[in-house]
Amino acid sequence: MAAELDDRPLTIDVENDRDLLHEFVLESHEHLARIEQETLILEENPTEATTLNAMFAAFHTFKGTSGLLNLLPIKDLSHELESLLDLARQNKILMTSVMIDLVLEGKDILKKCILQIEEQLKGNKGAPITLSTRDLSQRLHSVIHEAAAVNTVAPATPPGPSQALPSPRAPQAAKQVTDRAMVRVDIHKLDAMVDFVGELVVAHSLVKQDVSHLAAQSERTRRNLSQLAYITGELQRLTLSMRMVPIRPTFQKMQRLVRDLAARAGKHVQLILTGEGTEFDRTLVEAISDPILHMVRNSIDHGIEKPEARLAAGKPEMGSIHLKAFHKAGYVHIEINDDGAGLDKERILRKAVERGLVAPDAHPGEQEIFQLIFSAGLSTAETVSDISGRGVGMDVVRRNVEKLRGKIDIKSAPGRGSTFTITLPLTLAIIDGLLIGVGPERYIIPTLSVRESFRPTPAMISTVQGKGEMVTVRGHLSPLLRLYEHFGIAPLSTNPFESIVVRVESDQQDRCLLVDRLLGKQQVVIKSLGDSYQKNTHLAGAAILGDGRVGLILDINSLVKLKKETE
Amino acid sequence: MSSIPSEPQASTLPRAEGGKYLVFRLGLESYGVNVLNVRHIIRMLEITPVPRMAPYVRGVINLRGKVIPMIDLRLKFGLGEAEIGERTCTLVVETDAAHGGKALTGLIVDSVVGVDLIAASDIDHAPDFGAKLQTDHILGMAGSHGIVKALLNIDHVVSADGIHPVPHAHKS
Repeated sequence: MAAELDDRPLTIDVENDRDLLHEFVLESHEHLARIEQETLILEENPTEATTLNAMFAAFHTFKGTSGLLNLLPIKDLSHELESLLDLARQNKILMTSVMIDLVLEGKDILKKCILQIEEQLKGNKGAPITLSTRDLSQRLHSVIHEAAAVNTVAPATPPGPSQALPSPRAPQAAKQVTDRAMVRVDIHKLDAMVDFVGELVVAHSLVKQDVSHLAAQSERTRRNLSQLAYITGELQRLTLSMRMVPIRPTFQKMQRLVRDLAARAGKHVQLILTGEGTEFDRTLVEAISDPILHMVRNSIDHGIEKPEARLAAGKPEMGSIHLKAFHKAGYVHIEINDDGAGLDKERILRKAVERGLVAPDAHPGEQEIFQLIFSAGLSTAETVSDISGRGVGMDVVRRNVEKLRGKIDIKSAPGRGSTFTITLPLTLAIIDGLLIGVGPERYIIPTLSVRESFRPTPAMISTVQGKGEMVTVRGHLSPLLRLYEHFGIAPLSTNPFESIVVRVESDQQDRCLLVDRLLGKQQVVIKSLGDSYQKNTHLAGAAILGDGRVGLILDINSLVKLKKETE
Repeated sequence: MSSIPSEPQASTLPRAEGGKYLVFRLGLESYGVNVLNVRHIIRMLEITPVPRMAPYVRGVINLRGKVIPMIDLRLKFGLGEAEIGERTCTLVVETDAAHGGKALTGLIVDSVVGVDLIAASDIDHAPDFGAKLQTDHILGMAGSHGIVKALLNIDHVVSADGIHPVPHAHKS
């Protein structure tokens, strides 16, 4: 059997099997994720029957579909893994940690393979796909033999995958896998539905205005209208919730990471998960996965001490990382808490001064020092390991979180550990906006970026040579940008003292925008402007306003940074 | 690509195929778009201008909850601006987006004439129009029913490359 598996190239027929392959790839991702989750349960309880059955079923389906598509190397590998699990679920062998590692290794090979198929389906002609399975399958064989020799439960059964017949038993097992009925829906259909419902809400408010005099006379009309309002509102809430998914898969991926990294760093670490069921916007879940990964990695490498150091400090040998997700005050929070050494304020500050990030005579506060770990090029790890410590990563984490309109707070006590809290908006699809008017046009500024708005007095505005107009706000100078001038619109007034200044901030820089009017606050559903306008960096997107017209959302980050370009 | 010789080079250049074309007018000229690209024909909706874009990019509209860009074809083709009249309307065309999927774009035209069935044998290569009208936009010329129609390469007309922001258009 082993010889057969010798690095055979995998041939796929993209032309004829496109749909089937596509379906296979989608399914495979689910199966692989499932296998990974179940493996972690198996580590705690190697005889857990439902887990073994679920994993067996997943590999079995893999085998069946890959056989159908003539993906022979995949079929053979999944067959071997399935056989191992089959023996385990029949209690003929006991899953050891070595076996679990082998299963994970096999899963990784399959995953790599699926990703390559996915690439080819997208039309990227790569090198032919090869699977190096010989080594793994030999080890699988020897492990099964050893286990069977030791185990006396079933001495008569000749073990080994070559004897195990493709089993027709799988359907029963497969039934146990599906715990809730789900339908996979094309994301474009879902987005279209959200669009239509948004439109329905606008249409409803227009109709309500049109028939308001009728409603005033007729109880019946009033009742029907309020019923319509209720249905519309519920429908909108429901469609938006369809984009929400639990953070569970992302969290469970961390289990594997912690297990691998802790072993490599020679530390004992357990990961405790809380609130995996907390729901996030689908795009948010995808985007936050990397930052969480970096932070957990950071906690293992820098936070948790070596076992001997922990014992010396009177702490349990096993370090804990607590990953928690929860909703609070209209935001979602992700908390990463470790009981490690905590952040060393003096060392961070020393490094920052060495690297020229902080002036030597500055005396920053605790929070400011903590935030320094997110600066590029600062790493407090004494030695660079392959896990982390190169000083890249944490600055990327902050940038990614800010891109999602979120922030990171740090709490830390020496010897007691650190807590990082990521705060994110509930969804990327809706923002609170400040509606402003410039001439006949209306624009939306994300409320999160707005610091204040006021009508300036003549004393506040001055022209600084080489820097243009500046506004003095409580002793602080902030550059003024006349939006009408920048956008080429005829304003209601060119006189700042008859207009409004909105001070906005992004990335710790601020700028004053001169606008004609403030029109109010509004929650808006963000829509992409599409490819056509991607080069227009002053706009972050668009939204449908209450009257059905399109309003443009300003990209505050680029407007704040604008001064560098024009100087 | 600025001039297409009449030799049969069709294997490398996109060529108009025979089929149904939606015929519309800009000024005195007639144009055709493959009907398969046309999703809707709608009356003029209120346009939100997008600042710092080329003049032919009129802005965006709300098409049933979707935000789509509006291109004024007269300006795009250098035919001069016209008043929005009774028969002015928007063709909403669907093309392949740069990152996969489909993109909708609104095209402002003077009037829609109707749908013509054009045989492949009636289609000639686009002649060189000189600088005024880029020949890249034209797949071929069809001369049936006595009117010459320019058949548009709609993907090229609405491609994102064709829509540029103007960096300092309004700097005083």
